[in-house]
Amino acid sequence: MNARMLRLRDFDPVIMLTALALVGLGALLIYSGNLSRFGEPTVEDFSHPVVRQTAFAIAGVALALVMARLNYRVLGTLSLALYIAAVAVLAFVLIAGDATYGSRRWIDIAGTPVQPSEVAKLVVIITLAKFLSDHQDSIGNLRVFLASLAMAALPTALVFAAPDLGSAVIFAAIWLGMVLVAGARWQHVFGLLAIGLVCVPFAFVGVVTEYQRERVALWLDPESDPLGAGFQSLQAQIGIGSGGLFGKGLTEGGQTQLDYLRTPSTDYVFSVLGEELGFVGGLVLFTLFIVLLWRGLRVAELSRDLFGRLLATGIVIFILLQTFINVGVNVGLLPVTGLPLPFVSQGGSSLITLFICLGILQSILLRRRTFSHRNFYDTSAPP
Amino acid sequence: MQYSPPNGRRWRSRTEKARPEDVTQRRFLLLKVLIVVLFGVLGLQLARMQIVEHEDYDARAESNRLRTIPELPARGLIYDRNGEQLVENLPIFSAAVVPADVPDDRFFAVVAGLSEVTGVGPQQIATDIVEARESDDPFTPVIVKADIDEETAFVLRQRQPGLPGAQVLVESVRDYPQADLISHMLGFVGRIDEEEYADLRSAGYLLNDTLGKAGVEYTYESVLRGSAGYRQVEIDAAGEEIETIRSVAPRAAGNLVLTIDLDLQREVTEILRGAQGNSLNVVAIVMDVRTGGLLAMVSLPSYDNNVLTIPVDQDALPGLLDDPAKPMVNHAIAEVFPPGSTFKQVTGTAALQEGVAGPDTTITSYGSISVEDEYNPDRTWIMRDWAALGTMNFYRGLAMSSDVYFYYLSGGYYENGRELFRGLGVDRLARYAREYGLGAPTGIDLPGEAAGNVPDAAWKEETFGEGGVWTLGDTYNFGIGQGFLTVTPLQLLRVAAAIANGGDVLVPHVVSEIVDEQGNVLQAIEREVANKLPISSQNLAVMREALRQAAEYGPARTGASSYVTIAAKTGTAEFGVPLADGTYPQSHAWYTAYAPYDNPEIAVVVFLEQGVGATNAGPVAKQIFDYYFDRQRHVEAGALP
Repeated sequence: MNARMLRLRDFDPVIMLTALALVGLGALLIYSGNLSRFGEPTVEDFSHPVVRQTAFAIAGVALALVMARLNYRVLGTLSLALYIAAVAVLAFVLIAGDATYGSRRWIDIAGTPVQPSEVAKLVVIITLAKFLSDHQDSIGNLRVFLASLAMAALPTALVFAAPDLGSAVIFAAIWLGMVLVAGARWQHVFGLLAIGLVCVPFAFVGVVTEYQRERVALWLDPESDPLGAGFQSLQAQIGIGSGGLFGKGLTEGGQTQLDYLRTPSTDYVFSVLGEELGFVGGLVLFTLFIVLLWRGLRVAELSRDLFGRLLATGIVIFILLQTFINVGVNVGLLPVTGLPLPFVSQGGSSLITLFICLGILQSILLRRRTFSHRNFYDTSAPP
Repeated sequence: MQYSPPNGRRWRSRTEKARPEDVTQRRFLLLKVLIVVLFGVLGLQLARMQIVEHEDYDARAESNRLRTIPELPARGLIYDRNGEQLVENLPIFSAAVVPADVPDDRFFAVVAGLSEVTGVGPQQIATDIVEARESDDPFTPVIVKADIDEETAFVLRQRQPGLPGAQVLVESVRDYPQADLISHMLGFVGRIDEEEYADLRSAGYLLNDTLGKAGVEYTYESVLRGSAGYRQVEIDAAGEEIETIRSVAPRAAGNLVLTIDLDLQREVTEILRGAQGNSLNVVAIVMDVRTGGLLAMVSLPSYDNNVLTIPVDQDALPGLLDDPAKPMVNHAIAEVFPPGSTFKQVTGTAALQEGVAGPDTTITSYGSISVEDEYNPDRTWIMRDWAALGTMNFYRGLAMSSDVYFYYLSGGYYENGRELFRGLGVDRLARYAREYGLGAPTGIDLPGEAAGNVPDAAWKEETFGEGGVWTLGDTYNFGIGQGFLTVTPLQLLRVAAAIANGGDVLVPHVVSEIVDEQGNVLQAIEREVANKLPISSQNLAVMREALRQAAEYGPARTGASSYVTIAAKTGTAEFGVPLADGTYPQSHAWYTAYAPYDNPEIAVVVFLEQGVGATNAGPVAKQIFDYYFDRQRHVEAGALP
């Protein structure tokens, strides 16, 4: 690697700025959502969610810069080790993790709860990118196709068992998007989807737990239990709907401030936005995400090797789906799953992972001129 | 689609080098479309919620956030005419829980805690909470156990912070210190039932509310209840009040002052108890003939209204309900009986006014008259008098209560088909009876009044169908207060009072004033004339004189007072199955009277379910008059220097 060959003007400031704008917006919402419980934040009070979130964001930006400086191809060589480690940790969480809201997702590292599934998503992106770019000539081959499926299926099964349906869907979506971009055959994809559809009824009876079935039932009719498990979903929708065009104003939302939302800074942070900043606030958020994702796709298009292209694609799909599912749950379009809203929701694991993702995108951009057109399909580490 | 290019590859570009590039470019486009579509879906849903259905959601957020807590004023008190307090409001405590405020994750802890404190089974509590949550109003407290003692209430209050949703409800309930002495007039307060709630919900009544169910507690419910105020408070998700947004103070309830004189009521009760004998029910009412206000109204047996008011005494209740004497029924207004000879006051005044008879009309009673059957000339009916009373003018005819005299006045007299004396006939008799207010409720301010029955030809035909032809015998029976005519004791009292006061048929009442806490009169119940009798004052004076004579030398003399001159009429109304000789083994005893004769003040009616008017009812009236006027003498003497 030759550092002098990197051009600073290849660095995409739009990606970093939109991400920081999202984090800033998130900090405001976390502040408002926690006002009734934590009050005003002070800099030294590290237990205050806003202070923590800010600290994580700073750490995230630093990690992103380090990542940008690092050659992303190194990740390819590390992918097998990362993959094994991620699967091991997910399995460990399943056995020994802390349950929150009926689902085992957390482990404690030095007193800080870490949600390994967030990091695992990035690891799966890296692993699939490596595998698919290594086998890009034979991606039309059913064996390669199924092998990639198997790689994604193992962590998917582990988070599904947590149970964390949302993350399982994210893993599946990441895999699907990446194999398609890698050039998988439509016949294979549709064939698999057809088999999947046939299996859905059986899965709903056999594999899906009572907990998940209940959540789906509540999503279909949150009013059926307005004070029970449907409470959060319903209250979130009431909050959003009552926000109207311009919202009730930051810290002015009754649903938020009177604690009708139980996780107003994580899963339901969008409800706070909907209630207090209204439809206009929602459009601003969507715009920021669309800009970010568009710039992410630009990275994929500009990438001069398939590994980078697949990495960028995986990251875009990851952020897109996670955003869609989180907001979809908030507005009652999807059943309740505990996924954070990227960059906005309070949560260190998610934020750090996302900033690393952005660092990888920058790393791809910075190195897009490093390799000749000839070695586009050469995924071996640089000399 | 079966498309096989020559090289055997499908779906691939033929240019080796451009192949993956094109594929990925196409698929990038797909991704971009996906991004737009997904955010488009979210944007549309957001617009639907925040713009199209905004109003609905906003209303729900408001109802979430704001809770209206009703504030009831203390229920109005009730006093007798001398200011004696007849009811009290006592606090009782209930363990309750607001279903909406029990957090899901602590549901079982709350249920277990409530069960431990109250002793009610946890299964029961859990079921109640779950049911209430599914109702349309999960914010109204569900009563876990009513009427807990103060100690339990204290323990529950102590543990409240650990039992979110649990509450100690303090409810004010009635206590009636006079118990059965005046229960028919006071009534009682009960829990609102489903039907009442449906009717009264819009008037501000709540699911768990209470209201007057009988007596003046019922009639004057709106006065005694006052009007509920409310506080609108902001509530957080845990059910804690954050602040009061708005409040409307309750409007204080009004207090009632009754026309009833509790001392007289007590005395009349004692006198009646002494005279009850084997009567199932006995009644006496004292009315001020000048106003229509009742001074005493006793119907025995009575009941203890503390049994029926909240909290209901479930042990004593079946005994009340099963008693054949129906103690909960106020027989003074709710039951009807034939009035017997007391009705001759009506027949007599009607005959005078219609010119059928004058004060000097003489008729001779030989002990009975014979009546030919109108439809079967071979058959003759014998209508009896209670004795062969000889020749009588109007005064004596009434004073001696001659049945023959009043047969003549009501039905006339015929011999061999010739009319020797023209009577009133059923139509005029019925008309006057109705002028006196018979056959219709008196309009007293108490619920459950009966109308009684004034018969006529049309009524009989309607009631009995084919065989229901009105006969002369029916008219005769009607004229002496027998047969199909039925009245309540209160209706009969009103007849006596109307004759006494110069022809005003008054609306009787037991409440004289509605007052505020300081005793200022908010509303006085005015004297109300239901009907002015179409009878001249001369004719009423003739009747009053006849009634005076009745109390002087007639059967009614048994009721004459030691202190004042009274005017009175007895009645012995036969009922049940007649014996072979045409007499009846059972009769009701009646006595109506007013006093003083020359300046009427009070009227009295006495009814004994078993007895003879002169023998049994008269002495009761005498004791009432003696008590009343003796006391009055003492008061006046004491008041003089």
